Amino acid sequence: MSAVATKPLLELDQVSVDYVLADRRVRAVDNVSLSIAQGEILGLAGESGCGKSTLAGAVLQILKPPAEVSGGRILFQGQDLVAMSREQLRRVRWRHVSLVFQSAMNVLNPVMRVGDQFVDMFKAHDRIRKSDALARAGDLLELVGIDRGRVRSYPHELSGGMRQRVVIAMALALEPELIVMDEPTTALDVVVQREILQELEVLKQRLGFAVLFITHDLSLLVEFSDRIAIMYAGEIVESAPSDVLFRHARHPYTNGLMSSFPPLSGPIVPLTGIPGSPPDLAKPPSGCRFHPRCPQCTGIDSSLHRLQISERPVLREIDAGHQVACHWVEGP
Amino acid sequence: MQPIGADEAAPSAVPLTVQQVPTARRRRLPGLPLWLRLLLSNPKSRMGLMIVFGMFAVGVLAPWLATHDPTAYSLLDAKQSPSWNHFFGTTDQGTDIWSQVVWGTRNSLFLGFAAATLATVLAATLGILAAYCGGWVDDLINFATNVFLVIPTIPLLIVTSSYLKSRGSLSMVLILGLTLWAFEARILRAQALTLRNRDFILAARVAGEPTWRIVVYELMPNMISRIAAAFVLVFYISLLTAAGLQFLGLGDMNSQSWGVTLYWAQVNSAVLQGEWWPFLFPGVALALTVLGLVLILAGLDEVSNPRLRKPPKQGRGMISGLFLGHGRAK
Amino acid sequence: MRWLLRRCCFYVFALWVAVTLNFLLPRLMPGDPAGGMLARMSSAQIASNPGIIETYRRMLGGGDQSLLEAYFSYLGQIARLDFGISTSNYPTNVSEVIGRTLPYSIFLVGVAFILAFVIGTTIGMVAAWRRGGTVDNVVVPTMLALGAFPAFFTSLVAVYFFGLKLGWFPLQHAYDTELTPGFNYAFLESAFRHAQLPIIVITLAFAGGWVLNMRTVMINTIEEDYVAMAEAKGLPDRRVMTRYAGRNAILPPLNGFAAQFAGAVGGLVFIEFVFSYPGAGFTLQQAALGSDYPLTQGLLLVFAVCVIVANFVMDLLNVVLDPRVRTA
Repeated sequence: MSAVATKPLLELDQVSVDYVLADRRVRAVDNVSLSIAQGEILGLAGESGCGKSTLAGAVLQILKPPAEVSGGRILFQGQDLVAMSREQLRRVRWRHVSLVFQSAMNVLNPVMRVGDQFVDMFKAHDRIRKSDALARAGDLLELVGIDRGRVRSYPHELSGGMRQRVVIAMALALEPELIVMDEPTTALDVVVQREILQELEVLKQRLGFAVLFITHDLSLLVEFSDRIAIMYAGEIVESAPSDVLFRHARHPYTNGLMSSFPPLSGPIVPLTGIPGSPPDLAKPPSGCRFHPRCPQCTGIDSSLHRLQISERPVLREIDAGHQVACHWVEGP
Repeated sequence: MQPIGADEAAPSAVPLTVQQVPTARRRRLPGLPLWLRLLLSNPKSRMGLMIVFGMFAVGVLAPWLATHDPTAYSLLDAKQSPSWNHFFGTTDQGTDIWSQVVWGTRNSLFLGFAAATLATVLAATLGILAAYCGGWVDDLINFATNVFLVIPTIPLLIVTSSYLKSRGSLSMVLILGLTLWAFEARILRAQALTLRNRDFILAARVAGEPTWRIVVYELMPNMISRIAAAFVLVFYISLLTAAGLQFLGLGDMNSQSWGVTLYWAQVNSAVLQGEWWPFLFPGVALALTVLGLVLILAGLDEVSNPRLRKPPKQGRGMISGLFLGHGRAK
Repeated sequence: MRWLLRRCCFYVFALWVAVTLNFLLPRLMPGDPAGGMLARMSSAQIASNPGIIETYRRMLGGGDQSLLEAYFSYLGQIARLDFGISTSNYPTNVSEVIGRTLPYSIFLVGVAFILAFVIGTTIGMVAAWRRGGTVDNVVVPTMLALGAFPAFFTSLVAVYFFGLKLGWFPLQHAYDTELTPGFNYAFLESAFRHAQLPIIVITLAFAGGWVLNMRTVMINTIEEDYVAMAEAKGLPDRRVMTRYAGRNAILPPLNGFAAQFAGAVGGLVFIEFVFSYPGAGFTLQQAALGSDYPLTQGLLLVFAVCVIVANFVMDLLNVVLDPRVRTA
């Protein structure tokens, strides 16, 4: 299932992102490697604070100090985004890679009309007349199911669901090859969530873009994405095609996640959670970062236990397209 | 098995990636309260504190620092530019300006300090009262605050002091304090409001603590930094205002004060005669003190709002520590 | 819209407080200002100014009316715009004196204050956008330092350097004293020349506060999601700085503008004094020194009205610039 033959659209190669504070550096993203093929939907799941949003910001190179990319390459269609100049980045942004932000509540300029914000974006990348740009904005709004008269509205006059749709419409406007979506539906109720995801599916069929879908809701990804990667404490701990992950998840954390979400359909199963809380990235646990919470780290097997608390597991392929970073899975 | 993403043959044995950047040189002053330590560690407020304490020291040591009697006339020595005899030169009547400025420190600082105390007490009391009680109390205090903000202070003070028969220090402090409380009252009220709705206050209320206890023991300690900032602000405003009133001839013209010296300089058309020393030195003294207070204020601001802080660069001097920042992301 | 109405009511109330304050202050002060004034005048002066006793009694109290009666008659006078007769300019009406001097002040404040606001906020906006750049490191501290010096001090320095030593600007007054005011070219040209230095001084002295204010607000605004989104959209840097960050960041300082106006009026008095510029501020100071109470009272009211009007204009502007207020 993994696209090895064709060149990947986006490739993250050992990317690390640090937050530089007054007296120390905190590594929020640690040596992450990922790739997304053309037209593929890659889901990225993990708890709050695991570094997913930081990663999204890194892909678009909009991280602000004190965050900075401290290592690795981010290759989009073969070109390293980290090494690009300001002007080059500006041309790549939105036209080729766009971003749907978390919490659409605040991403629209409160003192500008919605239509004008579309116009800004069109004019930044093309020579186009304002009237044409407004017309295209209207088209886009209709595409996501909003009345085109709303181009004249201010953001605060729209409901939460409408605003999220506007943001999605903006992300699609220049027909980019890749859209990064950071928790696009978290702030919405379940019904609206479903509608939007269905619309996205339809749009994706029509326009053929790839998606990096970031969320903490694993159940969404299982239904929606082609492949899923699981992130914990700044690292990728497991990655597989979604149906494989759903049925044969190997990493204890993935399994924990899966059993803490009630699926949208199917029989009723008892819910379990994962004890403990995510580690403080300023002082992560030694060895495997998940070991304090892992049900498989019991000390019964002393050599395994020693590995778990002293050495960081590395992502290894255990099946076709299925990678896991876990001492216990690899066996003694 | 193919390790993905690892260039090395084996996983590294070094467990962690958190690097320890050596701590910037920070003076460890045990025993001092946290707020003082924070203020001292911020380069802006450190410089400000030094300046202000310096000024206070000058005021206290005035009898020893002054070279002449500040009221002594001597037409022989009149209109002299600065010299070894008279550090700051002499006025049209031959009085020594250095001594005037040195002695004037006492009165100027006193007026500013006392008026600031009065205004801050008023602002804090009314602001917190308004925020905590809400309802008609809040409306009333708000109305009063807004009215005082709309009526221009300097003209009001001018008119008020023109009615006064004697313009001694006490009257000046009173009218200054009673006019300058308004703008800080509004700010303190806003802060008290945000605190009031916080969980720990609600918890105290649910636990049955009486109102006054909540205000004094829960609310106020959390507002200390803002009240301190308010005090510093009003201090330099009243410093300027008091000097300004004196400059216009509406203060106690017989006292030694920076504004009074400036008044006589203006009235004697010192500037137009090309004599820069009668107004430069008192003016610089005033501006320096104000600058010190403004710096303290900037430091206080950065201490309470971490976003304004800049990470200290290693090994840099105080000046660049004051102004150097880091640039934006690409 | 209802909000505007509430503001209107407030302003009317504030005006009433100002008038009442004017009425009460002299009566509350220890000693009897009217009596004190009268005692200082010789009987010859009183004889030659027949209305003067009556003027003082009405304005300052000490008459035989009860407090309430005096108050209502005072209110009536104000309503008729009768502020009495200026004792230092006898027999000119206070209204006339004010009418002669106010336009100069309005001109000065109008131009200079607005300039200070525009320049100050622009500098603050750019300084925050490029933290650590030239503007942030050099221009901002300079403006702050200039602002720390009291306005009258900066004026004195300016007069000394640019007026006396370098001779670039006229030193005093609003126009060449040989000319007569009127709408002729010579006068207007002279007035403009004389206004330059005061305007420059006011701008330099006041811009510093705006710089700091705008810079702080801008630093916070830059963190907002819509700014990050604008950048992510690939918009040109300058557009994000002005239309997205700046346009939002300017709202709090704009509100502060109105509040600062009261302070600006104060600063005006000092600057007019230093330049002997015959505006309302200079007149107020002279009147205060000369105990011309009718004039001081009239001027205080006029100043209060100006501040109120400025505040009201700001409120209107707020409605225009911030669409969120309109639906509130």
